[in-house]
Amino acid sequence: MATTESTAGATSLTSPASRTLLKDVARAMFPHPSFPDAPYEHAVGTILAAAEADVRLRAQLEQGLRDVDVVGGAPFAELDDAARLDVLRSIEGTAFFEHVRTRLVTGLYDQAPVWDLLGYQGPCPDGDGYLKRGFADLDWLPDPQVEDPHRDEIVR
Amino acid sequence: MSATEIRGRFDTASFDEDDSDVVVIVGSGPGGGTLAHELCERGIRCVVLEAGPHLTAEDYVQDEWEAFNQMAWLDPRTTSGSFRLAKDFPNLPAWTVKAVGGTATHWAGATPRFKAHEFRTASTYGEVDGATLLDWPISLEDLEPYYDRAEEKMGVTHKNGRPPLPANNNFKVMGNGAAELGYRHIATGPYATNSVPYDGRPATVQDGFNFQGDKQESKWSPLVSELPKAALTGNLDLRAGSHVVQITHDARGRADGVLYLDEDGGLHRQKARAVCVAGNAIETARLLLLSDSPLFPDGLANSSGQVGRNYMRHLTASVYGTFDREVHMYRGETMAGVVADESRHDTDRGFAGGYYMQLISLGVPFMAAFVDPGGWGPDFTRIMDGYASTAGMWLVGEDMPQATNRVTLDGGMTDAHGLPVPHVHFDDHPNDVAMREHAWTQGTKVYEAVGATNVKRTPPYPSTHNIGTCRMSARPEDGVVDEWGRAHDVPNLFVSDGSQFTTGAAANPTLTIVALGIRQAEHIAAEIGRGAL
Repeated sequence: MATTESTAGATSLTSPASRTLLKDVARAMFPHPSFPDAPYEHAVGTILAAAEADVRLRAQLEQGLRDVDVVGGAPFAELDDAARLDVLRSIEGTAFFEHVRTRLVTGLYDQAPVWDLLGYQGPCPDGDGYLKRGFADLDWLPDPQVEDPHRDEIVR
Repeated sequence: MSATEIRGRFDTASFDEDDSDVVVIVGSGPGGGTLAHELCERGIRCVVLEAGPHLTAEDYVQDEWEAFNQMAWLDPRTTSGSFRLAKDFPNLPAWTVKAVGGTATHWAGATPRFKAHEFRTASTYGEVDGATLLDWPISLEDLEPYYDRAEEKMGVTHKNGRPPLPANNNFKVMGNGAAELGYRHIATGPYATNSVPYDGRPATVQDGFNFQGDKQESKWSPLVSELPKAALTGNLDLRAGSHVVQITHDARGRADGVLYLDEDGGLHRQKARAVCVAGNAIETARLLLLSDSPLFPDGLANSSGQVGRNYMRHLTASVYGTFDREVHMYRGETMAGVVADESRHDTDRGFAGGYYMQLISLGVPFMAAFVDPGGWGPDFTRIMDGYASTAGMWLVGEDMPQATNRVTLDGGMTDAHGLPVPHVHFDDHPNDVAMREHAWTQGTKVYEAVGATNVKRTPPYPSTHNIGTCRMSARPEDGVVDEWGRAHDVPNLFVSDGSQFTTGAAANPTLTIVALGIRQAEHIAAEIGRGAL
């Protein structure tokens, strides 16, 4: 048995620099100025964890993260927001981009802290619904009809 | 909720696999579950084979992705064609459920009836290029008594004195916008979730988790209604985790049983006096195609070549409007709101058939996944940043049947059992495209009428309405089953789900599936009674 078998640790993916770069890519791809870094870091963590069991993903990340540091003419970290967006636009549709985008769109938004940031209350604990938690508290419009008095005209 | 109060948890009788007196029903959704209940009440013993697990209220989770992974039919499928799902979700053309109760455990509860002309589309719409329109062999008048009974079963609001559901925030936006636009047919139903306690089940607490099962059991589904009632008769044997792989037949070409795999991969044979298939349109067609034999070389009940053809999925599209004030659309029943004005047939709009505007809401995880498939960057995050101030509507309308929109067996890919996976080919018909454009435009106007600052046109989600792959026809050469859902080619084989729809109508299909199930049960019981089955 050879002792040179590939492991996640054999790549540079788990280095702090890779994590930070992927986090910067995530922020540029899904820019929410109001979000702290933590949700992006969490989403990046799920991608890196997936990469440990997915050699194709790991290989794509390995090369892709090197590429995003060169296609903008300077390291990604040194680019401003507009230039970062340009870098991503130039690689949109590549396998690397799609690997990252599809995992981020799930991983970033499937977090309770992000729900809080966006004003989504999520599950209702203890069998209570929203009946007593504002399910009809919208007050900037009048109450609409809930029954159609002319139903017979359309129903058949 | 104490364990004893969970309606969806029940045990059933156990019948012998060699007992050839039983009726075998494949699938426990609104078609199979309703049929089982109606037959059991008439003293006919049924074996219901459900591919998925027996989940109940205490298993359900109010978390979109976790629930999806728990409930959805995730066996691989492949796609082709010009419809956008082939690009956005190539291995998930449909969003159906693999669990006891079927896709009715995922449904929201909208229950419009079909209209009279929607049973006569070939006569009413005339020749539509490329469409395989056909009149149903039954009429609205034939089905109306069964619609009445289905609505009683399901406790549909707005019917027979049952009160409407109250308006939630999302409905306030759509309802007011629609009224501003001059629409008149605005209501919170009909809807098959309890507005008041009904049939031993509680009124909704408006928790908003409808697509994720229902922890309160206030929503009708076979899991909490038809199946436990059938179990009480002693005539039901429900076997979860039982994936049917072939319908077998005797030398005369009559169905005589099924072969199915249990959860451990063990192959069983259950004998039957009749077999009823209710696996949802994709799997129902797949099972008939998988049941080919020297006697039925193109698949069982497929002498017409129609099995798998005329697959319909409804128009479907969504509109999300963002406002400068808060909405919180996710609070409360997901689809308890409808604007029916556009459900009429009126070719002055540039297309045949009609569509409904219905409420929809998605939580943040699914909003991100579905509002703009493939989207990213500031345009995408602007939509997400407006989440709390966003209202949503779903557009559901009749799509044209086409012979080439079709479920076939994939020649290259097999599932975990080694069975060919279903391949779904779908091209939008120009009528579908024109209707979707009209619906998006009108939906946009609804939200702009009450001050939307941004409106997003969202393409179809993976299909929850899957219909038409074994259509009902008067003549055997035009379809797969007759007016009772009975196969033209095999006298004791029935199709008992939305596959038998001749055309799709604009309405959500579940109520019609249930009504047809009641009607089919009466027929089967009568046939058994006179010794013909």
